[in-house]
Amino acid sequence: MNDMQWAPTGSEPLPPPLPPTRVEFTGDRSEFRKLVTKGALLELVTFGFYRFWLVTDLRRHLWSHTAIDGDAAEYTGRARELLIGFLFALAILVPIYLAYFLVGIEFERWQGFASTPLFISFYAFGQFAIFRARRYRLTRTVWRGVRFWMDGSGWAYSFRAMAWGLLVFLTLGLALPWREASLERYKMRHTHYGDLTGDFEGDGWTFFKRAWWLWLLTPIALLIFPIAPFVYAAFKAREWRWWLDGIRIGGVSLSSNLPSNAFYGVYWKVIGWWLLLSTVFSAYLGGAALLVVQLGGVPAEQLFEPGHTAKSIPMVVMMVIGYFALALAINIVMRVYLQRDIWAKVLETVEVHNIGAASDVRGSGELASALGEGFADGLDVAGF
Amino acid sequence: MSELSPESPPQSAKPTIFFDGVSSRRRQVTLVFGEALEIAEEGGTPVSWAWADIRRADSPAGILRLACTSAPPLARLEIRDSALAASVIARCMRLDEHRISPRGVAKIVGWSVAAAVSIVCVVLFGVPLAADRLAPLVPKPIERRIGDASEVQVKTIFGRSACEDPAGKTAFVKLVNRLRDAAGLDDDAMTAGVLPTSIPNAFALPGGKVYVLKGLLDKAENPDELAGILAHELGHLKHYDNMRGLIYNGGTSFLIGLLFGDVTGSSAVIFASRSVVEASYSREAETAADTFAIEMMHKLGRSPKPAAELMFRITGKEGGGLTSILASHPLTEDRLARMTKEDRPASGPPLLTDEEWQSLKLICGSGKI
Repeated sequence: MNDMQWAPTGSEPLPPPLPPTRVEFTGDRSEFRKLVTKGALLELVTFGFYRFWLVTDLRRHLWSHTAIDGDAAEYTGRARELLIGFLFALAILVPIYLAYFLVGIEFERWQGFASTPLFISFYAFGQFAIFRARRYRLTRTVWRGVRFWMDGSGWAYSFRAMAWGLLVFLTLGLALPWREASLERYKMRHTHYGDLTGDFEGDGWTFFKRAWWLWLLTPIALLIFPIAPFVYAAFKAREWRWWLDGIRIGGVSLSSNLPSNAFYGVYWKVIGWWLLLSTVFSAYLGGAALLVVQLGGVPAEQLFEPGHTAKSIPMVVMMVIGYFALALAINIVMRVYLQRDIWAKVLETVEVHNIGAASDVRGSGELASALGEGFADGLDVAGF
Repeated sequence: MSELSPESPPQSAKPTIFFDGVSSRRRQVTLVFGEALEIAEEGGTPVSWAWADIRRADSPAGILRLACTSAPPLARLEIRDSALAASVIARCMRLDEHRISPRGVAKIVGWSVAAAVSIVCVVLFGVPLAADRLAPLVPKPIERRIGDASEVQVKTIFGRSACEDPAGKTAFVKLVNRLRDAAGLDDDAMTAGVLPTSIPNAFALPGGKVYVLKGLLDKAENPDELAGILAHELGHLKHYDNMRGLIYNGGTSFLIGLLFGDVTGSSAVIFASRSVVEASYSREAETAADTFAIEMMHKLGRSPKPAAELMFRITGKEGGGLTSILASHPLTEDRLARMTKEDRPASGPPLLTDEEWQSLKLICGSGKI
């Protein structure tokens, strides 16, 4: 109200608010595909160790081709950090696994299968890892020479995630929108860009109103296959839009007009590729078996009999090669469609309001270690 | 490069933007090429970057983005004019030094292969060795605790409590004691019982607990059949197979899981390779337990063949399919063939009298379960 009093009235009209700016994604799809293909091949050759470098390269590509208000972001994380984080995480996880084993024995002595709930402690640990991994990624995200960063506690987040998880479980999933809203609020309120602090204004009720009928459809979708991808894609699109609409950083806010049918194509393309690749793989296996029978002179029915192990070795080798080729191809398809295409599709719908509020932000925040990424890798959890 | 007089590069219409790494303010600057790169903002303090300190940063196509190792880490200079960018690139001698070269990639591949080979060697040779050496060293109380835990589980699955018919129990104890004496296991090291379930099986738990399931007892036609199976289970106890298996399985799953990190479908690979590796380990242990059972039966002057016949009666012929390299036990027909080879006419007294055998068969009562 005080602002209004000194605002000039009369002769000079208030300047209209600046139009929202868009987020541009300029990444070249074939360049990304080449990156993924090369990375997936190296991942195979290195028994998966190349994953740290591949993930870093993909993030660098996606970040540096994403421009807000004309300035592209930058990812400054490096693969070596991820590798070290992973090794540290392993060093911490090994004693935890051992302790889990020993405590489990004591529980089992007390009552059969009483140790099953202990598994939940790993879920809690996974939530902690998700929070810390997000912190790592955020502190490596730079825009206009200023980095994003996070405070807050991974364990406090994990506790919230667990409590809400229990509620979601008890309500058969109906509480999910409120869980997401609460967790996003926690994450965004501890997210900063320089000296700006984030917030999340999405509320569970809005999300619930947009997606409740999908909850009703889920049991049907689980039974009838062709419905499931539609339901999942519709849910994901609504979730993304609701999430983007709620994001605030300082005075800057986001909005998105992502249509709810935005992801149908992507998911069906992935399913199509999956079917195609599986067909090719089965055909390959059939061909390989035929070839072994023709060349080796072993009758087909004897191929797998005991006593003929030596003769079935060529077949096993060909199966392994085929399996790896299949894994490689699926890896590429998933990354191109589910990572890059969804990224591009979502970003082209985003509008940024009042970007002027971020035009002179002082940098602050410390770099976080990659330990969280290591835990997330070691526990096989992913989150955003 | 002229060293003395600063040279003004051709300025172009496309702006050159500088972020000082302290604030997010977008500064439009002009560049001057001298002994260092001079970055001048109208009305601001000029900044100079030594040519040797300038590094390339990630950027979208059409923009050259530079960082400087001696400036604040997030300071960035963005050149949008391609001619200007080219002349800056020509002056920066260490622009791409920090990038991963093909040699760097080869190094990653080399080290990963070395790591993988070492993990595979540890799985194939190190872990079995460690399991063999460590298993006998596991303190008895710990083993017994693990055994207690699995006993509680087993009883949850297979029912309530062991069968208690007094006459049957006396016969069972007699049979087990004869085998135990022959096997040379310490007195306190083992307990045995019959569990009331129709599944035909028997197993040994850590800490010397041997259980026979009622289903097996029902299918057995004479004491020698049952004795052979019990001797096999005692073989597992004698060889510390439970603890060995525990150490071995824990070790291999951990190492193989580490090896195949994040490759899509890695869980399938982990599962497959673990199954093959562990099955072969377990088959070895089973074969060793069979050997032990054959020795025991010979020592008692009885034939090991009836036990194999009992197994064959339960499982039938097993061979065929890829399952044989995944099977945790040797194929029953192979075991039968082996024990038939070891068949000798009985030279010792029967292990149980007919009367004792009959009461053992009724240990869980006569009723159906």
